Amino acid sequence: MTLSLSRRQLLGQAAAGLSLAGISGLAGRQVFADDSAVAALAQAQDWGAGPSALKGLPHFAPKAKRVILLWMGGGMSHVDLYDHKPGLEKLRFQDLPDSVRSGARLSSMTAGYKSFPILPPIKPFKQYGQSGTHMSELLPHIGAMADDICLINSMQTEAVNHSPGVTFSLSGSQVPGRPTLGAWLSYALGTQATDLPGFVVMTSTDEARTCGQLFYEHYWSSGFIPSRFQGVRFRGGGDPVLYLGDPAGMDRAGKRDLLDDLGELNRHRLTQVGDPEIDTRIAQYEMSYKMQSSVPDLLDIDQEPQHVLDLYGPDVKKRGSYAFNCLLARRLAERGSRCIQLMHSGWDQHNNWSYHLENMVRDTDQPSGGLLKDLKQRGMLDDTLVVMATEFGRTVFLQGNKDNPKSYGRDHFGRAYSTWMAGAGVKKGAVYGETDEFGYNVVRDKMHVHDWQATVLHLLGIDHTRLTYRYQGRQFRLSDVHGEVAKGVLA
Amino acid sequence: MRTHSRLTLATALVALCGSLSAAVQTRDVDYGRDIRPILSENCFYCHGQDASHRKGKLRLDTLDGQRAKDAVIPGKPNDSELIKRILTKDPDEQMPPPDSHRHLTDAQRELLRKWITQGAPFDGHWAFTAPVRPEEPKNRSATWARNPIDRFVAAKLDGYDLFPSVAADKETLIRRVSLDLTGLPPEPAEIDAFLADMAPNAYEKVVDRLLASPHYGERMALPWLDAGRYADSNGFQQDGDTYQWVWRDWVVQAFNANMPFDQFTIEQLAGDLLPESTREQKLATAFHRNGLLNGEGGNIAEEQRNVLLFDRVDVTATNWLGLTMACAQCHDHKYDPITQKDYYALMAAFNNVPENGTAGRITQKIRSADPMIDLATPEQKAKKSELEKSLNAARNVMKQEQIAWQQRVLMGDDAVSDDAIVELIRRCPTPDLSKDESEKIRKYFDEKVVGGLESRPKAKVQEWENKLNDLKDDYPMVMVMSDAKPRETHILERGNYESPKAKVEIDTPGFLPPLPPDAPRNRLGIARWLVAKDQPLTARVIANRVWQTFFGLGIVKTAEDFGIQSEAPLHRELLDWLAVELRDSGWDLKHLDRLIVTSATYRQVSRVTPSLLEHDPENRLFARAPRFRLPSFFIRDQALAASGLLVRSIGGRPVYPYQPKDIWDSLAITKERDFTYPLSTGQDLYRRSLYTFWRRTVAPANMFDASQRQTCSVRTTATSTPLHALTTLNDPTFVEAARALATKVMPEKPEQRLAVAFRRVLSRWPDEAERALLAKSLEKQRTRFAADSKAAEAFLSVGESKRDAALDVVQLAAHTAVCLGILNLDEAVSRQ
Repeated sequence: MTLSLSRRQLLGQAAAGLSLAGISGLAGRQVFADDSAVAALAQAQDWGAGPSALKGLPHFAPKAKRVILLWMGGGMSHVDLYDHKPGLEKLRFQDLPDSVRSGARLSSMTAGYKSFPILPPIKPFKQYGQSGTHMSELLPHIGAMADDICLINSMQTEAVNHSPGVTFSLSGSQVPGRPTLGAWLSYALGTQATDLPGFVVMTSTDEARTCGQLFYEHYWSSGFIPSRFQGVRFRGGGDPVLYLGDPAGMDRAGKRDLLDDLGELNRHRLTQVGDPEIDTRIAQYEMSYKMQSSVPDLLDIDQEPQHVLDLYGPDVKKRGSYAFNCLLARRLAERGSRCIQLMHSGWDQHNNWSYHLENMVRDTDQPSGGLLKDLKQRGMLDDTLVVMATEFGRTVFLQGNKDNPKSYGRDHFGRAYSTWMAGAGVKKGAVYGETDEFGYNVVRDKMHVHDWQATVLHLLGIDHTRLTYRYQGRQFRLSDVHGEVAKGVLA
Repeated sequence: MRTHSRLTLATALVALCGSLSAAVQTRDVDYGRDIRPILSENCFYCHGQDASHRKGKLRLDTLDGQRAKDAVIPGKPNDSELIKRILTKDPDEQMPPPDSHRHLTDAQRELLRKWITQGAPFDGHWAFTAPVRPEEPKNRSATWARNPIDRFVAAKLDGYDLFPSVAADKETLIRRVSLDLTGLPPEPAEIDAFLADMAPNAYEKVVDRLLASPHYGERMALPWLDAGRYADSNGFQQDGDTYQWVWRDWVVQAFNANMPFDQFTIEQLAGDLLPESTREQKLATAFHRNGLLNGEGGNIAEEQRNVLLFDRVDVTATNWLGLTMACAQCHDHKYDPITQKDYYALMAAFNNVPENGTAGRITQKIRSADPMIDLATPEQKAKKSELEKSLNAARNVMKQEQIAWQQRVLMGDDAVSDDAIVELIRRCPTPDLSKDESEKIRKYFDEKVVGGLESRPKAKVQEWENKLNDLKDDYPMVMVMSDAKPRETHILERGNYESPKAKVEIDTPGFLPPLPPDAPRNRLGIARWLVAKDQPLTARVIANRVWQTFFGLGIVKTAEDFGIQSEAPLHRELLDWLAVELRDSGWDLKHLDRLIVTSATYRQVSRVTPSLLEHDPENRLFARAPRFRLPSFFIRDQALAASGLLVRSIGGRPVYPYQPKDIWDSLAITKERDFTYPLSTGQDLYRRSLYTFWRRTVAPANMFDASQRQTCSVRTTATSTPLHALTTLNDPTFVEAARALATKVMPEKPEQRLAVAFRRVLSRWPDEAERALLAKSLEKQRTRFAADSKAAEAFLSVGESKRDAALDVVQLAAHTAVCLGILNLDEAVSRQ
């Protein structure tokens, strides 16, 4: 049995123009097609097969070729940083009116409260750039890029707690088990990276590790779509990718020899058993070898000139820091990754607001602003979408004892909060949506999590209602069965 | 060769038949196979079972609905509204509507027309009526067939003008069946014995040996643990450890004892409700306490409790019924005849558990929630009560000290700077647990006074508390089910626990057979009903999953869904026959396993011919045996077994084999406990992967493609990515196993060493070409290590075990490298 025979057979089949699938299933019921065809396609586009997408995708010309998601884990305070409410200062420690509060679901930490004293933002706001967008004076670097940003002040989620909230934003369901944004994108659009994963996740935490927000693997899971689409986590210490390093005593040349011999043995077997999966396996082993040099190369930030490093601030050389990850995000974007998901946790300021919020801003403002600036200088902001998001905002009222500024903070709040987008296809220097004078209720252009998902997909050329995966008899979508593209965010 | 010529002929015949539509015209339309899938996919979303979402008051999922409004007029396609609407070009009239993104192909339109022309016959969904044993086909391949399975397979192959493949050789067979039944490769002696056994039933003897092996239960437990979303921790923040592993051992033992599947079902769902239920039966119900348990601060307990209930309904429906009931949590199911009421009527059966929805803290490490069963040994129990006694005594001493101190304060003999406390002591001079004041005083005393006064009593309390904590870390309290807290169950509007609507009683879905009148209306009634003879789904769902174990894919590929949107099985008769056989054999799983693995179908070669690849890439007709990548659990176990490192003991607490050392560091964020990975030493490094501690938030890094153990998972995936290659090439597990394998073969003659290693992994000898390649590879590695013996030593020091110092370092390192290659061969990580 040789491969030349198989070629003849294949040609014969093509001429006959009919497969078993057609005969058995009739037209409406492609018994052998659906998943397997998708899987075969996916296999081809996976890992460095170059740009290749599902058939029919993107649905329309995309504005963005890739997305960098800056996830602020723990619930970033819209009240303190982004949603400008000048009237709050005068109302310090006065009770939030009942009429404002009615109906908002609070976490069990404050649901039993009898009074809701207003806590004004920690620092004044100021206007940034030509657009004059209001943001906290704590955000000079993000503010410096305000003219490229579309600030969204009307976010809304049903989730009251962290893990369900993050899971909801990234997968469309509060309960783990569904594919996440990056997995959907890799599945739909393939990757342009030739020797790096298409969906990369990097995590970091405030140095004091005050807040206890964990990074669950289901935040980058592929859920029920094939697991090759799940995010690959680059770790902040040890091997950046699990098992990337060769065993002690095995050098590159030795590994090369071993893989060559392994390949020969596998090819020999292929001639006997004919399973094309063997070819795939050989290719994946080769790719693993390439990754062993491409990943260290990616991490070698000494290649960057000082003025670029400076953009990201003093922590940039500290591996595992948010700043380092921001720089890596740009380097991955250059190398063709489709979705780069950075997660920085520590925003959960229930009781350490006064000093901790400023620490968090210090860790994230300059790297985030620097990333935007760096991308812009290189012209990459034209085809890269940068999104800053969080699972919910924080209450305008304080949690804890108002007489003890060292111990109070703000509770979780999903009824209104802020995120932003910048780059490809996004309206520049704009503010989308509005809340009431307390930052408590959305009064204009509500952006529900599902709308946000629909909008992100739209910018990548995907109609969120048409990107589906069939599982358990149902067509699943990132935006579940909801969501509208927020046109006001689009350039 | 013969297969090939037949296929080519078949192709020619097919080509003669011409186009697809010609094929359509030559056969009768079958509603279930051909029509309902089209209607379901394209119409039921708006014209199906969900009344709230129905458009134009038209439903097409029932006979009455189809006949109403002239939608379908039998025999008159041109007058039928359905046909008019799918043919019109008018976007306002057109069905499916343009904005639905659903499209009919011309062939589908033609099929619908033909169906109506043929009188528009209607019947129910095949999987919703109880299976009856189909007659075994009689056909020309009768001589090939070894049992009824083969007759069904052969009949279908006849229909496609295909032949079965030849039988695999003995070496392939014994490796295949050993991996399939025990998850372990055969030992060389077992291969030799099989090769030497010329008896006609030599293979059956091997099968019986494997079915009786204690490793059978370990292997069969794995997919069940995936379905039962079993883990050793709760998930979420803190991710506290649990004692659910005791239930894992129950599952292994149940499979080994071949517990009938009906009993297996009833005990796990409702063992606690059986009359005079045993400890083991109560333990079995841990099944439905395996869900994620959220201990995050700020979570709303009642919301979390409802999440647990939803999980139980979803897992029960998927695992036994093959139904996706989750859709009906918010509204009537769009496709299947499941109403929202059905959903909550089933949920009611799980709603009486005395639980509050959150994870309780047992110790720093362990977080579990009531109800729990105490499975400690008598020694542990005695130790616990002894420690509790000592602790109480120590606390009593403290209390006496406190009383004395309070007296001194009152007498003014002891100065207390906090006036508020003095005032409290005045109001409450002796400790009185019923008073808040007393608690405040105690706290003050504990924190401020004891240390300064006389630290001994407090140290004593601390000491006993620590000892008790240590004991509790090791004291098996397993979360199980109980109906001790009856609650009312309501339909929840859009699944929102804050919007209860009509009250419902425990019941089964209305479209399936009802609970017998005398059945108890509780979990036990539901459990018995799941395995009742007339309940159409369970036997099919389980028979399909058993088939999937051996063929990689189920006969119904959508193993998790047997509803209307599921895949219409090509081999429906075979599936029904297997389902009836399973049910009527007294739910005898080993019997079904034995039937399958002794069939001629199973024994075929797995060679993929180009024609088969083209015609039947997924091997749905079984004209060959399947060939697929092994689960990652088996890949590791095989490496350990082949190298002789494997420790074969069964059961017990989870172990912590090699993982990247900072694997749990991301969890350390909570500061609540030490999340250093507690790497095992000695034997525990080499236990089967089944026993590896499964932390739900960070799964073991080398168990790729495994279920995440978060939701019910009944289908495995086997993908191929560079990350897997990195794992099996660089993980110390495999490097150490390669060294052990090399060490094992070093006593052989030099030219035989690698061949013996090769055979230990692949169960066959290398052919001449392979021997030459192995020798060439060895030579390269030897040259390299000879030039750098330091590297050789480093390479041999991976893993906890020590290299055999008597062996030449360079030789051993070179052999180890090649053995690592052997463990990474495609054939090694595949089952063929």
